[in-house]
Amino acid sequence: MSEITVFEARKIVTMDPNRPEATHVAVRDGRILAVGDADCANQWGTVRHDRSLAGHILMPGFVEGHAHMMAGAIWQYAYAGYHDRVDPDGRLWPGLTDLDAVIDGLARYAAGLPEDQPLIAWGFDPIFLQGERLNKKHLDRISTERPVAVLFSNFHLMCVNSASLALAGYDAGTNVDGVIKGADGLPCGELQEMAAMFPIMRRLGIDFRSLTQREDAIRDYGRVSVRCGVTTVTDLFAEMTDEDVQALLRITGDASFPVRLAPALAAMGGTAADVAQRACALKTLSSEKLRLGAVKLMTDGSIQGWTARVKWPGYVGGQPNGLWNTAPDQIRALCHAMQEAGVQMHIHVNGDEASEVVIAALEDAMRAHPWPGNRHVLQHGQMMGADQFRRCAELGLAVNLFANHLWYFGDQHAALTIGEDRAQRMDACRAALDAGVVLAIHSDAPVTPMGPLFTAWCAANRQTMSGRVLGEAQKITAHEALHAITLGAAATLKMDSEIGSIETGKRADFAILGQDPTDVAPQQLKDVPVLGTVLDGRVHLV
Amino acid sequence: MSMAPLPMTVIAGYLGAGKTTLINRLLAEDHGLRLMVMVNDFGAINIDKALLASSDEDTLTLTNGCICCTMGADLFLAIGDALDRRPRPDHLIIEASGIADPGRIANAAIAEPDMSYGGIVTVVDGENFPMLDRDDLIAPQLRAQVAQADLVLMNRAGDGAAPLQERLAMLGDAPVLDAGSLQDMGRLLFGMAPPPRVGAPDAPHPAYVSWSYRGPKTLDHAAISARLETRPPGVFRMKGIINGTDGEAWEIQVVGKQTAIRKAHPGDATQLVALGLKSRLDPGEVETWWSDTPE
Repeated sequence: MSEITVFEARKIVTMDPNRPEATHVAVRDGRILAVGDADCANQWGTVRHDRSLAGHILMPGFVEGHAHMMAGAIWQYAYAGYHDRVDPDGRLWPGLTDLDAVIDGLARYAAGLPEDQPLIAWGFDPIFLQGERLNKKHLDRISTERPVAVLFSNFHLMCVNSASLALAGYDAGTNVDGVIKGADGLPCGELQEMAAMFPIMRRLGIDFRSLTQREDAIRDYGRVSVRCGVTTVTDLFAEMTDEDVQALLRITGDASFPVRLAPALAAMGGTAADVAQRACALKTLSSEKLRLGAVKLMTDGSIQGWTARVKWPGYVGGQPNGLWNTAPDQIRALCHAMQEAGVQMHIHVNGDEASEVVIAALEDAMRAHPWPGNRHVLQHGQMMGADQFRRCAELGLAVNLFANHLWYFGDQHAALTIGEDRAQRMDACRAALDAGVVLAIHSDAPVTPMGPLFTAWCAANRQTMSGRVLGEAQKITAHEALHAITLGAAATLKMDSEIGSIETGKRADFAILGQDPTDVAPQQLKDVPVLGTVLDGRVHLV
Repeated sequence: MSMAPLPMTVIAGYLGAGKTTLINRLLAEDHGLRLMVMVNDFGAINIDKALLASSDEDTLTLTNGCICCTMGADLFLAIGDALDRRPRPDHLIIEASGIADPGRIANAAIAEPDMSYGGIVTVVDGENFPMLDRDDLIAPQLRAQVAQADLVLMNRAGDGAAPLQERLAMLGDAPVLDAGSLQDMGRLLFGMAPPPRVGAPDAPHPAYVSWSYRGPKTLDHAAISARLETRPPGVFRMKGIINGTDGEAWEIQVVGKQTAIRKAHPGDATQLVALGLKSRLDPGEVETWWSDTPE
């Protein structure tokens, strides 16, 4: 008989309505044996009491239903963003709020680098900075010899110094779309889109793939998760070569690896039937800590990049409607193939025209191949309204809304993208719950930092960076927000039978907190300290 | 180590337009080049077994030295891999996804010093295009594929060929050709000087006309660049080395709308070759354009 460990806590917030609170949870074989008081497991045999967490609050481990593996290894580069951010080691990187701070911060970082190594930074976002736009002259102040490249937070742009420009051969004679020139006819350092960035990335060894599949990248992702109380995390849009899968199985299989990983296969290349077949084959390889079998579909772009496909009246600045990354015909073909093969999809939809096309495609696919338990997830769903949520409820679809956008980009959406009225009803968590749709909320890390309590704060308060409330009517309660980052998100991964609440039979996955999130004002949700996690009964402190 | 830049051609077009058919033709055609072709749908590549040297899960190797492989999720990573491949292929062909903006891909060949622009070929399905052209969801992106093309190829145009050709000509300024009627496509797409091989026919194909110059003319960078702006519109490809006025020399490359001028080693004479479709290019016009150039 395996050992029974009874963890004591100051309070356990179970998210199980049958027993909302407890003080003890008993664990055997990595699973929850009993919940209640100190005696809760006595009827099961001899127990060992563990008081190491007795001063803390336990909640079900948080579930991040939309993030990317790159959120871990991107910290191999210097952080140059506007907002404070914490790296996987727990080090705070203060936000760099003006150009001088960016230059000083990066210069200090460069001082610690070997001479022959380029300086690469990420997370920079000019949308938050006043005054002059970042150019090579600023970065030449860091070094005129060492190549410097600063990736913008959207990964579509970068700014480089003169040494980097020289490496790529960019000069007055260069005539390339995306290599921006200054008034003097010389490249100013800003490079827009992959083609213009490609020669620099190649020469400086910036490789997004190694940021997602190397062993340290995978382990860093685990550490990022522990820091914010996450015990199950997705990687939405994974290439999943045979080699990748073997590495993931080996690393997640390590008992010390602290998080359950649920990658979704990128639906690209080959026919829709090929993708479905690959997903089904992957599913059979799943282990307790690596959950395979779902796919991720891209449809449109992003709202803040004006590339989301939006319905009338479009963008307030008169920008043309956005872009499809997957053709509507192909979306329909993929929906049919996945529905037929019984493969769950996570479908990126930012604009309301994209969500409309996807819902219609799924309605059609479901007439051909009924599957009541499909639970496909519309991801982001930022402009979905009550009408679309109702259709989701009818079809058995779930949604995972991008609540963090409200704080990070809410002001910009009201002023610059879709305008005041539609910004107020963005990421409409209230409407989704009222329609009876399974709801999760997410960070899309590294786009915004992973931190489910912050995400819950966004959904409950809808406060923007300027301090205003964007859409009072779409707020949800703190309890509903906590549900969305636990059971709700677990349901979007079809894992709510195993995780998402602290109740007998489920996995012993907990978030260890310094304060009770149900006992603070909704405004304080984001400030609740995360002390670590428990996965399968094993404690991981930050 | 200095290698010749790797030319890259992008093949664009909506789902079912005939991109794969075109690729199958190019792989099998007798152009004498070691092509590397990156495709989305590997299963649709259909190569005569007699031409196949070996095949595995994601690469086909042909007896003529061509390679065809699947692209992973990251196109630019795949382009980087092609550049690192030894021996480096003679020409890289990218099959863009049905909705891709080919200009954004081809731009990498202009930006990257180790590559050269090989053009954008947009394939259009004559049966479906008129309907897609009316579909607000998709039409703007498909029209952009036509607008960015250096060459538009029509498939299955049938009776509607004339109105379709007219519509496509309105959307951009590239030549619009019936894919079925075009033979020896490699000559147009990959340039006019494939390495000579034993037994290869030497006579130019009657669908194309060419013009060439070899002589003492010298021009500086500014003059070359100004002159290229006014080149006859029927020139589809042009390349050569023009000796400069100050001991320098310039390699020029023209593919469709795109021109590139790079520094080169001076030769004993200036040399230039141009190629175009017989229906669109009069070699006399090129001769006039070139001789009008002040020396």
